Amino acid sequence: MALGADRYATRGDTLVFLGCVALSLVAMSLPAGTRDPLASGLRRTVLLPFLQLQNQSELLRTSRTRFAQVVAERDSAVLATAFQGELRAENVRLRALLGLGTRLGSGFVPAEVLHQAIPTEALTVVISAGTRQGVRQLAPVVSPEGLLGIVKATEGGTSVVATWAHPDFRASGMAADGSIFGILAPHGASERGVWLLELRGVPYRQVVPPGTVILTSGFGGVLPRGLPVGTVVGIASESEWERTYLVRPAVPPGAVSHVMVLGMQLGADLGGAFAPDSQKATP
Amino acid sequence: MRRGEPLRFWLVLALLVALQFSIRSRLGNDRVAPDFLLLALLIYTIRERPGASAAAGFVVGLLRDALTPASFGAGALAHTLVGYLSAWSKAVFFAENLLVNGGLFFAGTWLRNMVVAFASGKLAGPQMMWELLVWSPLQGLTTAITGVLVLVLFRHWLAIRLGES
Repeated sequence: MALGADRYATRGDTLVFLGCVALSLVAMSLPAGTRDPLASGLRRTVLLPFLQLQNQSELLRTSRTRFAQVVAERDSAVLATAFQGELRAENVRLRALLGLGTRLGSGFVPAEVLHQAIPTEALTVVISAGTRQGVRQLAPVVSPEGLLGIVKATEGGTSVVATWAHPDFRASGMAADGSIFGILAPHGASERGVWLLELRGVPYRQVVPPGTVILTSGFGGVLPRGLPVGTVVGIASESEWERTYLVRPAVPPGAVSHVMVLGMQLGADLGGAFAPDSQKATP
Repeated sequence: MRRGEPLRFWLVLALLVALQFSIRSRLGNDRVAPDFLLLALLIYTIRERPGASAAAGFVVGLLRDALTPASFGAGALAHTLVGYLSAWSKAVFFAENLLVNGGLFFAGTWLRNMVVAFASGKLAGPQMMWELLVWSPLQGLTTAITGVLVLVLFRHWLAIRLGES
């Protein structure tokens, strides 16, 4: 059969089209309480084999790199074992002296980001870990560079993460030295199309220089203290008594492929858990 | 229709769906890489009536919405529109030409992204401009090139006459 070039839309076609448009509009106007279970049901049933395929593909893609890393780590481990006892004792002494906590000591769940090809994909991403792996709602999701977002919904083997770019995202932020506090919220895109955050509500008399690293403050009851969020790049707006600063996020949602879902207590301070590289100024 | 043609047609569509969830993430920037799922829908609309194409678009869009809940419903609307208009335009423009098909794939991708961007209400200002003027055209281009390659490679399996317009 070749193309049927002799057909136009019949009345039946038009009715089906209008019906689908109407259903789409209904879907758009559904309240979150109805919409989220529906989306979750689709992910757990029809989409499950496709998500598993995507997850396997992601694992395969990184397996070669991981193999090289594992070999390198094994070699390093063999070398390190010669000094392990002495190093451990020294480490314990130093921790006791400096009062440092262990890095992410209360556990995390690793996951792959399953990217989709939709313009709004940066706002919510699907990851390959769910309730079976111990992921819970509102858990912080981080990459080695810093905060990506929080878990919005969980299923058996997948979860939906609302990234910092989501319009509903809010977090209490502070300068790395704890001198300045404000509320972090998505700003939208810069003129060059780079998605940015805002640090709102900073008192006018407190000047935040470009390059200042912004961390989560731990206030608000969702995110722990000390997660790198981004770096101040300029002033967005100012009023008589406060300034709003632009923050370049540490983690671009479209570029991240592997994440960790944190499972520690809310009172934890993660300021020392992230590599110093992620807290360097990148204006 | 020759024997076995429907099976081979669906095999090509299934291959495109599998590519979407397997190798797409390896093809560079996520906003530019070809959208195999949309391509499967557009190829489906080449042979189907506008009503069936709209329904297929709705189903595909709704499934995609489940993976990007920030714009739930917007994907269903966008894919419904693209499916219907694609099937309708094929009938109107009598398009059995490779370039016309490539143009259809490009326009379909761009239109889909535009409708999602507007209907979701989550993009505005420079974000919207960059999406519509940079990322969507680039994704449309890669999708169109991939679509043309698929049509050339599988023209007999898809039972599509090309170059006869």
